[in-house]
Order: sequence, then structure tokens, then C-alpha cells
Amino acid sequence: MNDERSAIALTGATGFLGSHLMARLLQDGRRVIVLGRSTRDEALAARIARLLRWFGMAMPADRLETVEIDFARDRMGIAEAMYTQLSARTGQVIHCASDTNFSERKRDLVFAANVHSLNGILEFAAHGRAKAFHYISTAYVAGIHHAVCREILPAATAFVNVYEESKARAEAVIASFCERNSIPLKIIRPSIVFGDSQTGRALKFNALYFPIKTMQTIRDIYLNDIRNHGGIKSQKSGIFVDAQGYLHLPLRVYLPRKGSINLIPVDYFVEATLRLIAGDPPGGIFHLTNNSAPTLATLAAYNQEFMKIRAVEILYGRAASAAMRNPVEELFDRFIEPYRPYLSDDRIFDRTHTDRATGNLQPPEFTNGLFKKCMEYAIGVNWGGAIFS
Amino acid sequence: MNENDRRESGRAKEEALAVAKNCRHYAMCKIDFLGNGVCASGLEKHFASFYPVGRMDLYAALAEGTIPVTETGVEIANSCNLCGRCDYQCYFVNEMRPTRVMRALKDHVGAYVKGGGRVARSKDDAILSQLKNIVGADWASNDPAIRITYHHDLCPHVTFKMPEYVVLPNSREEISAILKLLNKSKIPYCVRGNGASSHGLVFSEGAVLDLNRMKTMDFDEKNWSVTVGPGTAAFDLQREARKRGYRVHTAEPAALVCANIMTSGLLSTFSTAYGISADNYIDAEFVAGDGSLFRLNDIAAPNLFSFRNALSEQEAIAICVSVSMKLHPLTADEEGVLVPCASLDDALDFARECAIRHIGLAIGILGGEFVSTFIAPTRKLAAEAKEVFVTKLGMPYLVLLIGDAYALRSVREMGYPVIDQKLFKTLFQGLPALSSAKWMDLLAELADDEPFSYLRLGRFAELAETAIAPSPALQARDIDPDLRPFFEEVYSRPEMADLVWLNTFRIQSSRYCRENPCVALVCYLPIDKALIGEIQDGLRAVAGKHRLKGEFGFITPIDSGKRCVWEYDFYFDHNDPAAIARVQQATREAGALLDDYCLKSGTIRQVRYVVNQGCCRKENLLYS
Repeated sequence: MNDERSAIALTGATGFLGSHLMARLLQDGRRVIVLGRSTRDEALAARIARLLRWFGMAMPADRLETVEIDFARDRMGIAEAMYTQLSARTGQVIHCASDTNFSERKRDLVFAANVHSLNGILEFAAHGRAKAFHYISTAYVAGIHHAVCREILPAATAFVNVYEESKARAEAVIASFCERNSIPLKIIRPSIVFGDSQTGRALKFNALYFPIKTMQTIRDIYLNDIRNHGGIKSQKSGIFVDAQGYLHLPLRVYLPRKGSINLIPVDYFVEATLRLIAGDPPGGIFHLTNNSAPTLATLAAYNQEFMKIRAVEILYGRAASAAMRNPVEELFDRFIEPYRPYLSDDRIFDRTHTDRATGNLQPPEFTNGLFKKCMEYAIGVNWGGAIFS
Repeated sequence: MNENDRRESGRAKEEALAVAKNCRHYAMCKIDFLGNGVCASGLEKHFASFYPVGRMDLYAALAEGTIPVTETGVEIANSCNLCGRCDYQCYFVNEMRPTRVMRALKDHVGAYVKGGGRVARSKDDAILSQLKNIVGADWASNDPAIRITYHHDLCPHVTFKMPEYVVLPNSREEISAILKLLNKSKIPYCVRGNGASSHGLVFSEGAVLDLNRMKTMDFDEKNWSVTVGPGTAAFDLQREARKRGYRVHTAEPAALVCANIMTSGLLSTFSTAYGISADNYIDAEFVAGDGSLFRLNDIAAPNLFSFRNALSEQEAIAICVSVSMKLHPLTADEEGVLVPCASLDDALDFARECAIRHIGLAIGILGGEFVSTFIAPTRKLAAEAKEVFVTKLGMPYLVLLIGDAYALRSVREMGYPVIDQKLFKTLFQGLPALSSAKWMDLLAELADDEPFSYLRLGRFAELAETAIAPSPALQARDIDPDLRPFFEEVYSRPEMADLVWLNTFRIQSSRYCRENPCVALVCYLPIDKALIGEIQDGLRAVAGKHRLKGEFGFITPIDSGKRCVWEYDFYFDHNDPAAIARVQQATREAGALLDDYCLKSGTIRQVRYVVNQGCCRKENLLYS
């Protein structure tokens, strides 16, 4: 492990997936070079140290380097001598940095972060003749209209959002570069990642968490109205606390079709990714997805029990007209809109490469217990607001 | 008195003095804007000294030994019956409690008299006798207790002067006679309005003419006009006009309408529809410097419609003694909305578009500082409101638009998400609950996708109302407990949450100096985003250099969007000589910066150079 080319250069280490990868690599005794940025308020090294503390780890100074980079600049803004020295010590690159914004209004920023910035990290890998380049992509590069998504480069031209589109474009750019430069490439495509299946811990609370957080907020608004203000406004919307103490919260969630939510826990993502990185074949594309994904109806049932609410219905087809919707439904619809395509996904993700390369490692089933564990943690840390406070 | 009592008394005096020295001289205590009446002695005696604003100055002067206790001073102290009205008024505006100053004044004077102190009596000199002959014995004075209250305000740019005489005429003939007397005796004079001056033009070592007695209003509904005397305050005029179904274009509520027109010319958010300067009036009557009378409509009258476009302040050439103003009929469907904007550029685009298309009666781009200060009953809440609107909700600018149903429909058709009247009332009355509302975080996350898209939800206002549970009681929650019941009643009045009423009467904008007084840099310029952005950067840099808080105030488009009026403010601590020195230097540098842009662009007019030319034609001002 201590040969001159043993280091793994990692981008995105301050993000959800990247931080988990970093922690695990360090726990496994690997040398890691974190390529990242400081924020206005906190230096990169301090950010990393803070994250490692969350993992219960100290900064292993002998095996962890933090290097300030700027993808927009030549050599990522690294001084030439240091750049050469770093790249020479780098055996593998894991490119995990990504802008996960779905908003079309942010198209330029998303493409800048996910596509236009690739040159810097790819040149870095090529400069040091890295033994492997690993790109953390997304299962959703397959785009829409694909019933079966293969572990091949995407041919899709239509996507649910700009994030998917940018990741698909990035895969093509990276694949082309690596081929030209003879760098073995692995593209790892996780679906929706949530907290740790053993502990429920997580650092980011979007995707799966967002509808639940929204529901909790809406529930609390009406409980407050009922408990502290007579509940007159709640009554107008047919909302009340029933005899069993459950909040009767009529909420019809319309989905375009029947389908499921493809969820994997972050510990599965880390384990599978490390197996993929370490093992054969030297290159390929891998889906880290769940063959037994739950439906929204299942999640809604978990959540109703968890939050002590009733009257949430999952319906399929076109929603009732706006005039027929109550304020809760209108707000909830708006909140989950960016996530709606992922809530009733009927695509099948082929896992042939993955199963072979990981020894058929599968993510756990998303049970009520797992749901509860993750949501209790999320609420306990105020959806992330109290993690570092 | 034992040691404890003495200490307590000393502390009470210090507190009273601190309040007195923080008086903003905004003169809101001279108008009945809360409907609980005005200081009775002020209404009877008219001198500023008999209003709370004057008693604040008087107490500070007596406590600091600047003037002796005089007979009139004793009369002023005794004329206060500690009714407490000024507490409500001043708390609403500045969160201050003047009654403790009134009490301290009475205590101070009472103790002095009881202790056998000599009460000075001012003697009439020849000039004062003649002034009294003109206006009556009660309406002219040289008593220091009167004069001190005309000696200073918060304007940091002038050397304050103690007048020899204060005189309160009641007619144009009396003004004419006074001017002739003063001219003959070579005594300088000035005319003052109701309260603080923006430009320091109300001080004279000679005579100060206070026109407070000339509060006339003659409505001519056949011609949709009203003729007002020079002592008429904007609030009073607006109230009378509204009773008759009209609106008058006025500025600050306590400001005297004639003085406004004469000095900088009337401007407000309603300038978008009603214009500026000569757009606002039909005719006006003046007493010239030599005491002669003239009307603007006289063929031989001085041409006050002209505008001298120079980078220098102009002298006043006459005193306006009445003005006939236009009445604008109200329609029952007038309503206000606030359009949130993530940037000044967005706000300028929207405001300009509306002005070009003649959509709306009033348009004002308001910065976060103004919005939060205006809507919050206390400083603490204002700081929280700023955090909520600017940081949490990403609304550093809000465009106020008032219009009829057709105008508001147009705004919606233009595709802008709006805070409508119903939602405004919810946010306004629920302000204390906003900063701790967890659901605000969700809104911020939604806004990341499309700014303010939640405002498009048909029933968002209903949901917000449920979440916030707004009420007058909640709105008044942070107010001093003894004042709270009164303010709960005030905030329960429908007009107190009505954007149209609030922006017509402007009682909340009087809060703009609550935290600290400011120097307002006001200019007319094209609605040019690059130019405004560049100038704003320059003004910010000046403020930063001098360690002053610099804030965007407002922008209102005028003349069909061809120009706008823009206010940017430097805030300072008026009790800190070092801060005053800094704001003086900053204002000089900002003035030089604006002068430079005036010369470069040829399209910018600074309001400081409009002063005393406020009667001019808008076209002469903006384009000559």
C-alpha cells in the first residue's frame, strides 16, 4: 500500500457519497488525496476534519492530504511542481464531485460543474498515468423511455432533468477521454442513496427524505393550529385529530404510473463501490440499484405510522383540478414535483456487471424498520441542521 | 432623599436625557396618525416647544445647562399633563417613550422653582415688539425655551443656529409684513416646516417663521382640487381628501405640503402615476423676498416652472403661502401587491415594464432595510424580518405596486409571483412567528428550483395563515407590555394591514430612522441597470470606507419609465461626533461621485440641487 503510486485522488469528499467513500478508504488504511475547495467560512482541511469527526475519526495526517483546487483553472489551480508530484503519487482517481441540482434554471451551473469542469480532473489522471479512473455517476443517465436500463454508455436524448442530462454527457466525455488516453475507466451508477442501513445516519437529507420532511412540516402546521389556535382552519380542510390521536390529513398524491422508488443505503454504496474499484474487470459500467425497491404506497404506509397521520392516498393518473385540491395537496404537490419521476419508476436496471463484480452483493430490503431508523436519525439532527452544531 | 433615591433619580434623569437626545425630530407627534389625539398644548400653542418634540429638546437643554429656566420654560413644562399620547406615537415610530422625558422636564423645572431658583423672563426688544404687533402677542417670542427648539435637528451638514426670534404668522399678509420688517432691519430669516430638515435649510440666527397656525384646507370638488395653507401636514390633508373619496399626492405624513412642494418637490411611490414637481399642483401663492405677493398663474410672476440645472444648491426666492393641489379619485378596487425579486436587476426590469405600460398607480422598489423597518413594530423584529426576507426567502428587493383590478390582473398575467394583500396581512401580523417558522426552510428549498414559485400556489396564503396564525396580538407581542393593548387595537384596524392605506398615509415609512438617522442621497436618473448598479457599488464603497451602514432605500419609476427617483442611505449615530464626521466626509465623497456621474451621463439630477426649485416643471428638471 505504501508504494509511490498508492494514493487515491478523490473529488467530492465534502459531499454525501464522497465523504462516506473517504472515511471508508481511510478506515481501510488507504492513502487519500482530497481535491476540493474551501468555503467562504471554512478551509478545506477544516471541512474534511469536521466530516471525519462525524465518522468518529481523527485526521490521519500521514495518509490524508487536502489540496485546494479550482476546476476552472489550468492544472485545477495547483502549482506546477505540486501538480506533477501529486499526479505521480496518484494511482487511482475517484471523481465524485457533482452538482445534483435538478433545476432547469441552473442548467449552466450544473453543466459547468458536471461536464465543463471534467477536463481538469481527467488531465490530472492522464498526467500521472493513473492506473484507473472511477466516475460516480447515476443510474438515471438512462433517461426516460427506457424500460430496461443496460450497463452501457447511455444513448438517451430525453431526460427527466438537467442533472441526469449532464451526468449522461459527462459519462460520454469521460469515456472518450479515458479511451484516448488508455486509462481504465469504471463508471459507477448508484440510484437514490439514503442513510446507513445499520445506524440510520446520513449527512444529506434530500431525495427520499424531502417528501417526508415536507409531510412532517405540514403535519406540524396543522397540529399547531389544532392544539394552539382552535383548529378552525384545519377543520375547513377536513383535517382533525381522530380518537386514536392520529392526524387525519387528507392528502391525495397523484403519480403518473405504478412503479417504485429505487433506494440503496449509503453503506451498501460504499461497500459495493470499493469492491468494484478493487476487483476485476479493470473497466466497465455498474448499476448500484435495488431489485426489490419499495413503492410510494409502501413508504406512505410506513410514514403514516411513523408520523401518526392518516388519510394519505397514493393515486395513479391525472390529478384532480387545482380547484379540487386542498391547500395541503397543493403544497405537497409543488414540493415533490422535482422528485415525482423517481417516485413511480417502472424502469428495470440491469445489474449483470455489478452482480458479477461484487460477488452478488445486494442492497437490503427497505423495511419499515429501516425507514423508521433513518427518519428518527434525520429528525434527531433536524434534517441536517443540527449535525454540526 | 436617601442615597438609593438619589441614585435612582440620577438614573432616571440619564435615561430621560438619552431619550431626549435621540428624538428624531420627525414630528409625528404633531399629527394624529394613530387616532388617539395630539398633544393638547401643542394644538393650542403651536410653537414646537409645546409639542413633545420640542419638550425633548427643551429638557436636554435644561439638563445640560445650555439655557436657563425661563417663564416660558415653566409654562411649557406645566402645559404637559402626562397624558401619554406621545408614548404611543413615538413608540410606533421610533420605539421610544417620551413621557419619561416629559416627566423629567416637569420634575426638573418643578424642583428648580420649588428650590427658589431664579426664573428668567425674556424682555421684548424693538423687533419683537413689532413682530408681536403683526402677529399678536402670543405668536412671537425670543424666550430661550422657545428658541432652543428651533435650533437644531439631525442634519449632519449644517452649523446649527439659535434664532433670536420665533414667529408664528397666521396669514399671507402677516408673512408679508414680517418679511418687510426683517428686511428693513437686515435680520436674516428662514421658514421651517413641521420637523427635521433633510438639507438643513431651517436654521437662522435671525428669525424663524413657523407656519404651524396656517392649517387651512379648502376643497373644490367640482374641480377635483384642494387649496391648502402652508401649515397643513400631509397626513391631515390626505385624511380629509380620503373622506371625500380622493387621494392627494403627498410625501412624508408629518411634512408640510407647501414646504414639500417648495423645497424638493413632491415625490413618492405614487409619482409613477401622479408625477413630480409641477405635476402635483394647479396653482400656488407666494410671498416674495421683498414681501410682495404673487401667484404662479400671474403673467408677471417669477418663472418658478423653470429649472436651473447646476451642480449647486439654490436659494429660496419666496415663501409658499398656499397651493391648490390635484385630487385624484379613489376607486373601490384599488389594492396593493408586493413582487419579490432576487436581484435589483429583476426589480428594475419589472418596475420599468410596468411604468412603460402605465400599469399601476404607485410603484416602489424597496430594499430589505426599508421593508423590514417599515413592517416591524420594534427594532428587534425588524432585524429578524430582514433576515427572513433577505436571507431565508431570498427577497433582497420587493416591488410594491398599487393599482386597480385591471393593473393587478396585468401583473399576474405578466407571470410574476406576488405577495398579495391577503398574504401581506398574514406576514405582517405574523411577523414575530416568522423567524422561528420551520416551514420557511422548505420554502427556501423550493425557491431553489424557481424563485418564489410557492407564491403561485392558489392557496398558499391560506396555508401560510394556518401556519403563522397571525393576529394583532401576535403582531404586538414584543411591544412594551403597558402599550400592548393599545397597539393590539391599532393593529386590528383594517387599514393598518392595507397596503393601499399604508402607502397613501406612509405612517410606517416614518420608521426609517428608528435604528439610526440617515443621510438620504436622492437622485433622478434613467432606469439603467448597469448605471444604477455601478453607482450603487460606488456608494457602498464610500459607506464601507467610512464604516457607515449604507443601504438601498427605494426606486420609483417616473415619467412613463423614462426616469426613476432613487434613494440610497448612509446611517449614522447622531450622538457620536466621530460618526458625524465620518458621515459628513462620506456624504461629500458620495456627492462628488454623483456629480461626476451627472457630468458624464447628462441624465442624472440630484435632489439636493432641486431644493428650492421644487415647483418646476418635471420636464425642465429631468431633461433640460
